Amino acid sequence: MTNRLKNIKPIAQKVGSTKNRIFITVIALIGITVLLDIFVVEKIFNPLTYLYIALGTLLVRYGIPLLYTSRRLIQYYWQRASKNRLAVSGLAFILFLILLAFIGPLFTADPTAVNFEEKNLPPLGFTLEESVYDLKTGQFITNTITGVGEHPLGTDDKGRDLLAMIVSGARVSLQVGLFATGIAIALGTLIGVTAAYLGGKMDNILMRFTDIMMTFPFFLLLVFIVFIFGPNLALIVIVIGLTGWTGTARLIRSETLSLRTREFIMASKALGASDRRIILSHLIPNVISLIIVIATLSIPGVILAEAALSFIGLGDPNVASWGMILKAGQQNLDTTWWVAVAPGVMLFLTVLGFNFLGDGLRDAFDPRSNV
Amino acid sequence: MKKTWLRDYIIKRLLYAIFIAWAVLTITFVLLRVGPTSPADKYLANLTARGQDAAQVVAAIEARYGVDIPIYEQYINYIVNLGRGDWGWSLSTSMPVMELIKTHWIYSFQLIFLSSIFAAILGILIGIYSAVRQYSKTDYAATFFSFIGISIPNFWLGVMLILLFSVKLGLFKVYYDTGIPLLSLANLQQLILPVITLGTGMLAGYTRYTRSAMLDNLRKEFVRTARAKGLPERTVIGKHVFRNAILPLITIIMFDLGSIVFGGAYLTEIVFGIPGLGQISFNAIFADDYAVVVAVTVISAFLILMINLITDITYTYLDPRIRYD
Repeated sequence: MTNRLKNIKPIAQKVGSTKNRIFITVIALIGITVLLDIFVVEKIFNPLTYLYIALGTLLVRYGIPLLYTSRRLIQYYWQRASKNRLAVSGLAFILFLILLAFIGPLFTADPTAVNFEEKNLPPLGFTLEESVYDLKTGQFITNTITGVGEHPLGTDDKGRDLLAMIVSGARVSLQVGLFATGIAIALGTLIGVTAAYLGGKMDNILMRFTDIMMTFPFFLLLVFIVFIFGPNLALIVIVIGLTGWTGTARLIRSETLSLRTREFIMASKALGASDRRIILSHLIPNVISLIIVIATLSIPGVILAEAALSFIGLGDPNVASWGMILKAGQQNLDTTWWVAVAPGVMLFLTVLGFNFLGDGLRDAFDPRSNV
Repeated sequence: MKKTWLRDYIIKRLLYAIFIAWAVLTITFVLLRVGPTSPADKYLANLTARGQDAAQVVAAIEARYGVDIPIYEQYINYIVNLGRGDWGWSLSTSMPVMELIKTHWIYSFQLIFLSSIFAAILGILIGIYSAVRQYSKTDYAATFFSFIGISIPNFWLGVMLILLFSVKLGLFKVYYDTGIPLLSLANLQQLILPVITLGTGMLAGYTRYTRSAMLDNLRKEFVRTARAKGLPERTVIGKHVFRNAILPLITIIMFDLGSIVFGGAYLTEIVFGIPGLGQISFNAIFADDYAVVVAVTVISAFLILMINLITDITYTYLDPRIRYD
C-alpha cells in the first residue's frame, strides 16, 4: 500500500508538469490567434472579440485539462467514431472550414473591394455570354467572358471577389455557430445539472421555466429584436445563445438524474465535497459526451438561423455572410448564377458536416450500439 | 383517475399558453418602446425634409401612435387594441394592417397546407418501406437522401430550383403570379417548386422518424405473436406495427407545423415572391413599417402557441400510456 502510494506521487507530478506545458502552449496559441484576429485580419476590436476571449479562456481552463485527463477514453471513442466514414469526412470538412476562416483572409483579396472593371467574371473554367452595346459600330455584340485565375470563384455584379466573400462568410457562420452554441450549451448544462442535483423545489422552478421558454417562438422574437435594434452580429449571437438552451437543459437534467444517486457522488458527499465541487468536477465531466453530441448537433441550426436572418436582410451589414451573398445572388440569377450557388454549397456542406459528425459521435458514445 | 390528471394537465397547459401569449405581447411592447429609433423618428425625418414644422409633426405623430400619454396607458391601449382587432395602420401600403393580413394569409396557408401533406404522405410511405426492407439498397438510398434533405438550407434549395427549372430550362415562372385564381390547376402548377422547397426538409425528417419508429416496433414481442398467429405480413405491418408507430409521428408533424414551418414557409415565400405573411413582413422590414412587423410576429407566435397546445392535448388524450405530471 505505502509502496504504491510512493509510486503514484512522481507520476502525478510528471503529469502535472506536462499538463502545465500543454496549458501554457494552448494559452499562447489562443492568445496569438486572438491577436492575429484583432490586429491583422479584422483590425477592429468588436464586441465579439470579448466573447471570443471569454469562451477561449473557459475552454482552456475547463476543457483542455478534462480532455487531457481522459485521453485514454478519447482514444477509445475516437477508434469507435473513426470507423464511421461519414463522421470522419464531416470532421475533416469542419477542420478545413476552421482553417479557411482563420487564415483564409490573409491570402484572399478584400471582400468589400468594388471593381467595376472586373464585374460578372465567371468561375475558372466557365464562360459567360454577355451582349454589350458597341460604341464604334452602334450594334449589340456578344462578348464571351472567361474566368481568370485571380478570381477562381469569379466575381459578383460589383466586381467583388467571390472567394474572398465566401471566406469572410465562413468566419461569420463559424463565429455565430460556435459562440451562440457555446453560450446556449453552457447555460443549458448549468441549469440542467443544477436542477437534477438539487432536486425538489429548485428542480420544479427551473424545469417549469424551461417548459415555458421552450414553447416561446424564438425565431420570430429574434427577427423582431434584430429589426428593432438593428442588425449586429454580437446581438444575434447573444440572443440565440440566451434563448437556445432549453433542449440542452432537459437532456442534461434527465442524464444527471440517474447519476445523482450513484455511489461516487455519495462518496464525495460523505467526504464533505461542496455542491459546487460535485457539480463541476463530478457531474459535468460525466455528462461531457452528451454535451459534445448536443453541441455538434445544434451548431447547424444556429448557422442556418443566422443565414436565414441575413437572407431576409437582417444580417450585419459590416460583414459579408453567406445568407447575404445568396440573397444578392438570387437577384441576378439569370447572369451571375455562381454568386447564388457558392455560398449555398458552403452552407449545405457545413450543416451536413456537423450533422454527420454529431450522428457519428452519438453512435460512438452510445455503449449499446456496436459500431 | 385518468380524467382528473388529464383535466389538470390541460388546465396547466392552457395557463402556460395564456402566460406566454401575454409575455409575447409585453415583450414586443417593451422592445418597441426601448428600441433605439421609434417609428415617430423615422417619419419625422421624412416629413421635416419636406419642409413641415418639426414640433407640429412630432405632436401629430405622437398622437397618431398614442405615445403622448403615460406609459402604462400606452401598454393598456396596446393590448386592448390588439384584442379588439385594431392592429394599426400600415404606412407602406396605406391600409389597415388587419385588412392587409386578411388578404394575404391565404397564400401562406396554401403553401404550408400543400407542403405538409406532400411531406407527410411521401415521408411516411418511404419510411415504412425503408424500415420493412432494412439494410436494402433502397433503405440506404432513403437514409442518405434524408440526411441530405435535413441538411439542405431550404431557401438555397428554392434558389437552386429556380435557377435550374425556371432560368435554365424555362419550365416554370420565376416569380409567383397572383393573377391566377387560387383554385386552379395553373396555381397548383406554379406552387410545385415552392412546395418542394418547403417540403423537402420536412419530408426528410418524417422519413427518418417513421423509419426509426417502425424499426422500434418491429422488434417488439407482439409482432412475433402476430406473425406466429399466421397473419399475413401486410396486416402485421399495416395494423400492428404502423398503428403503434404513427402516434409519435402525428405529434412531430404537428410540432413541425408550429416551429419549422413558419420560419421555412416565410423564407420560401420570400424566395418565390409569394405574397403571404412572410413576404409582407419582409417588405415591411425594409419599409420600416412597424405595425405590420408587430402584427405578423404576434399572429405567428399565437398560431404556434395554439398548434402546440392542441398537439399536446390530443397526444395526451390519444395515448393513455403517456402521463405528464
